[in-house]
Amino acid sequence: MQNAPAWLSSLSDIPQASSPEILAQHRTFPVVDELAGLFTDGGIRQGSTIEVTGAAAVSLASALTIAVSHSGGWVAAVGLPMFGSSAASDLGIKLSRWAFIDHPGDQAGVVIHALTVGVDLILIGPDIRLRSDHGRKIVARMRERGASVITIGKADLCNLRPDLCLRVSQAAWTGIELGHGRLTSRKVEIERLGRGADSNLRRELVWLPDGEGRLKTFGRRNKSVNLPRPSHRVSKPLVGIDELMSQAS
Amino acid sequence: MNFIDTRTLVLTVPHWRLIAAGITCEQLAAVVDSDRVVDATPIAVDHGVTLGIRRREAQKLCADLEIVVDDEELSVRRFNSVVEALESVTPRIEITTGGRCSFPTRGPSRYFGGDQALARTVVEQTLKALSVMFETAEVPRYIYPKIGVADSRFVAALAAASQTSSRIKIIAPGRSAAFLESFPVDVLASEESPLFGANDLVDVFRRLGLKRLGDISALPSEELLARFGSPGLLAQQLALGTDDRASLPHLISSVVLEESEIDPPTDRVDTAVFIAKAFADRICQRLAAEGLACVRILIEVETEHGEISSRLWRHERQFTPTDITDRVRWQLEGWWKSEMAPTGSLSLVRLVVDETIPDSGCQLGFWGEKTANDERAIRSFVRIQGLLGSDSVTVVQRGGGRRLVNIEQRVPFVAAKFDPNRVVALPESTVAPWPGQLLAPLPASVLPQAEKLEIVDSDGCLIGVSGRGHMERDPAYFQSETLGSHLIVGWGGPWFLEERWWDLTKKIRQARFQFLLANSMSHLCFIENGQWWLEASYE
Repeated sequence: MQNAPAWLSSLSDIPQASSPEILAQHRTFPVVDELAGLFTDGGIRQGSTIEVTGAAAVSLASALTIAVSHSGGWVAAVGLPMFGSSAASDLGIKLSRWAFIDHPGDQAGVVIHALTVGVDLILIGPDIRLRSDHGRKIVARMRERGASVITIGKADLCNLRPDLCLRVSQAAWTGIELGHGRLTSRKVEIERLGRGADSNLRRELVWLPDGEGRLKTFGRRNKSVNLPRPSHRVSKPLVGIDELMSQAS
Repeated sequence: MNFIDTRTLVLTVPHWRLIAAGITCEQLAAVVDSDRVVDATPIAVDHGVTLGIRRREAQKLCADLEIVVDDEELSVRRFNSVVEALESVTPRIEITTGGRCSFPTRGPSRYFGGDQALARTVVEQTLKALSVMFETAEVPRYIYPKIGVADSRFVAALAAASQTSSRIKIIAPGRSAAFLESFPVDVLASEESPLFGANDLVDVFRRLGLKRLGDISALPSEELLARFGSPGLLAQQLALGTDDRASLPHLISSVVLEESEIDPPTDRVDTAVFIAKAFADRICQRLAAEGLACVRILIEVETEHGEISSRLWRHERQFTPTDITDRVRWQLEGWWKSEMAPTGSLSLVRLVVDETIPDSGCQLGFWGEKTANDERAIRSFVRIQGLLGSDSVTVVQRGGGRRLVNIEQRVPFVAAKFDPNRVVALPESTVAPWPGQLLAPLPASVLPQAEKLEIVDSDGCLIGVSGRGHMERDPAYFQSETLGSHLIVGWGGPWFLEERWWDLTKKIRQARFQFLLANSMSHLCFIENGQWWLEASYE
């Protein structure tokens, strides 16, 4: 006790003197740089629920797991029997850290609850339905254990309340026309809407996938458009995806 | 330490997996487990099929090879008839796995007048059971049972495996070390050994120049303990023939026993197995609290008519709750299908821990090996397997082929041995070019079963494709029962896929097309015999 500061009179003062640096809710799972712009903390907050919707939902949801699968975390996919693993490994996912529970049937709630104990990210397929009491239990357990859930399709259907909604607002394929060419790459605009600190709208443009099946930032790196703009500016329509593309090229 | 006589007889029936699968020696066949050949008939061996090679390599060596997937349950169940025959010799038979069992020889040996006479009786009984099984008077030579008798189980198992000319090998008491001396160190990591799977340790031994078991037994044991820890010491004990296992006194403070009446009695194996699962969990927890692990367990089930099935099961390392439940299932199903099948419903399940060892635990890896994180994940997957069945949790295993369903294969997590660092992709040497394979980017969702759909022109007429892949008219709409009707805004193709044209029943001839729809979804479809199918979607 000789080295303790003079004002620290008893052990009971220590909690006031030193608060934990990182709170549980501020811990995050890593996300690849291309998508980090969508997250206020630069990663997926532990214990949060993310809803992914739109035309490229499966690709986007799996892209969110790339960094976790490489950093030793585990990903489980519930109710995704149609998951295309070759596309996923092209995207950069380490598939040895993935496990699939394709047909949980009416045990989906119990299965997801069991997964929250051991798995970092849980992907929930569009056909999974949860009872409301299961949903509540799962959320409580996720907060406790720090696992996060990504739902493909509306989270409400699983009785989960999304903390963050990622919506693929526009998806444009290149390389294919009427009768010739083939699908080569897809430009995807992702919109983020959330609660609390994440409540402002953010957009991100990425190639998902690019010509080699990978994820790539569109144009300049980590270019994100933050909305809403300051009120003193005249609000002007959003820059369209086509305009941005022509600027970039 | 009170001395326990550990002299053991080990009986091995070679090629048991083939016998269990119902294959005779004239057939050209091999048994595979997790994509590796684990057993092959003599004819297959003549074709160059060796144990341990991949299924595909074996098929390359002989194209007509019949491949049977190993079924441990079936193999143990069929072994029951042999065990039943041996029960007239001794009641204390421990089944290790299908085709291998052992028992202590002290009592029976005295009764039959020595080890040699005992071994001969065992061979006779086994042959009798086998000939009933094969319905022939003459049992084929290559499945003749092999017997080893020695001071410890490990030595006896090696003796049973090693002999060439005679089928019975008896190691006189105290001669184990001399017998073991010339064996290569590799046997320490073999299936029979309690150090099963310790390939790293064996590798280090070999690189240190310790090539034979004799070299290890000659070293001072303190040095081995200091350098390799308890596995090193165990290796030396094995090399000296002083099996660490059975010589340990029973340390359990009380008899670990779980039993329960089933009320109402049940006809279903599942119900009894479910009850046993809870017991197994409790037993393992209780033993873990004392720092012990179970290596031998007695499983007893009783019916309402008083029939009893009682078996001892041994595990080479230690029983996990799932292992115990498996044994219960095997025993019950074997009993149900045997000639002495019970007439009443099951009314009692009893599990008694028979032998324990100090639980050495599992040192978690620092780099690259299993981490606490993996352990946790695996535990929750095992839990789900208990809930939904053993093949409910799957992992990806890449296959070869042109069609997506061939490339994207899933195997149960159990079959992947719960290895978090396994290689998903095919090894470089077997990656063959597959002309006609899809190019990147690949579709993100692949339907497990292709779905019927219609591609129609602007008038709503179904579009066909000519033999060279030309669309008859311009496609306008994409119609599917699940996805609805959508305007086609872009399409590409055809890409032809022709497989096995030489085989009329298995041949495939498809033309693949990509369609981009107005709702910015794109799909991979193919047409075969005039019918359009949806194969995958670029979601």
